[in-house]
Amino acid sequence: MSAPTLSADAVLELARLEGYANLDADTAARIAVGASNAVRAVTASVHESLFDVEPLHFLAELERLADEG
Amino acid sequence: MGAHTGHAVDPAHATLVGAADAIARGDISSVELTRAMLERAHRLNASINCFIRIEDELALAEAAAADAARAEGATLGTLHGVPLALKDMFYDPAREVSSGSRVRAGFRATTTATTLARTKASGAVNLGALNMTEFALGPTGHNAWYGHCRNPWNVAHVAGGSSSGSGAAVAARIVFGALGSDTGGSVRLPAAVNGVLGMKATYGRVSRAGAMPLSPSMDYLGPFARTARDCARLLKVIAGHDAADPTSSRRAVPDYEALIEQDATGLRVGVAKNHFFDATTPDVRAALDAALRALEGAGMRLVDVEVPNAEHLTELSRAVVYSEAAALHGHWLRTRPQDYSPQVRARAATGIAIPAASYLEALQLRPLLLRRYVEQVHSKCDVLFTPTLPIPVPTVAETDVGGSASMWETIAKMVPCTAPFNYLGVPALSVHAGFTANGLPASFQLIGRPFAEGLLLRVAAAYQAVTDWHEQVPSLA
Repeated sequence: MSAPTLSADAVLELARLEGYANLDADTAARIAVGASNAVRAVTASVHESLFDVEPLHFLAELERLADEG
Repeated sequence: MGAHTGHAVDPAHATLVGAADAIARGDISSVELTRAMLERAHRLNASINCFIRIEDELALAEAAAADAARAEGATLGTLHGVPLALKDMFYDPAREVSSGSRVRAGFRATTTATTLARTKASGAVNLGALNMTEFALGPTGHNAWYGHCRNPWNVAHVAGGSSSGSGAAVAARIVFGALGSDTGGSVRLPAAVNGVLGMKATYGRVSRAGAMPLSPSMDYLGPFARTARDCARLLKVIAGHDAADPTSSRRAVPDYEALIEQDATGLRVGVAKNHFFDATTPDVRAALDAALRALEGAGMRLVDVEVPNAEHLTELSRAVVYSEAAALHGHWLRTRPQDYSPQVRARAATGIAIPAASYLEALQLRPLLLRRYVEQVHSKCDVLFTPTLPIPVPTVAETDVGGSASMWETIAKMVPCTAPFNYLGVPALSVHAGFTANGLPASFQLIGRPFAEGLLLRVAAAYQAVTDWHEQVPSLA
């Protein structure tokens, strides 16, 4: 089964919704590939609930890991 | 074009630390040195286009002030009188800051970038605004508005991006050091392709206040220099907490120059066994294997390591960068799309198609994946070793719009070794390690646990002590 990919038409629909009137089909196709790759990587990386994770604690985690070294 | 070993007759061939020492001793004045470097800048810029603006009057005024301060017996900063230059995205009310764009042409900020203020406070002289990829969105150094920056080792080849001018100017001995920004590799890639050192420190180590944002979660500012000691000095100047940047760390900044004097014997160098070498070409691999042998010869121990989730880290970083860049550029993309070059417009707009939930998931995953990375990698090694750029430095034509059919494929191979560490937030340093068959530099990347910048510089210093790649000079220079 091929990997799910956003279509260029879907990107053009989103672009119209978001007020980007001048997006051409070639650019939309490129955006579709780039966005699809990124979203698939996110989905493939989630293996547990993120319900209790606070992203703003990233710097604190860096400092904690430095101290553990 | 090619290389020759430089002889330090011309003051431009001194190291940054050597130049600072010479000024402090009175062997040369800052004005004399600045004039010499400005002459080089004008002469070489015609070939490599590393500057958007060379600012003779401002630079000479700063140099004269540095000489006057020395004559008055003032306490001298660690960069006193030394000519540097910054990527054209560090805000300075005294200068225009274009961010390499048409949209921001003529922009004059009302605040000064903290990093610029710190280099000034240390006595540095700013020669002008260095070329860059438009809005720092791209890894090659192409710029439709100010002209492409070119590689001093061979002007047919790219200078890398997005801090193209920073890498090229340091390699060409026009400045003794430079600053750039790195959102997916934009310090390390131009450092690698121009054959100099470039560091992206730990997230929070260097304030981003007053520098053009691209993706606040992934942006870093960092130094370029030719030697580990020069890089250590620059990092010490710009690092540290800044009230103007709430994401900057309050951790004390160590004396990096002292740290690199420590013995590197026995350190464990982890060679990434997955992902990072997959796209590495044979001649890049040969240069990196020789570098590993040199590190072993310097007393370090090589170990194999697996980097968890490595195959997804670059795209995770892109999920964040695309989303944040689209938000920052949204108004201009809607109202002035014609003022972006087509490639940059597409990169800036990609985030319009990334769901908000995916963006937030990528941010929420970040501390979890960081912990997994540190526990699985740095339990086995002190520093991780990867290529910086896994392919030989491409030509300008190969990576230009309307260039070869493999253009996108080539560009796609430029960031998979660097962007993962923007996402993980850990420090990474690119080190020049020889040349590929096309005569262009090859480089390796060292990565450490959070806030281990001193350790990376120590390994780089040990490597430079047993090799002389950092002393090679482009013929053009």
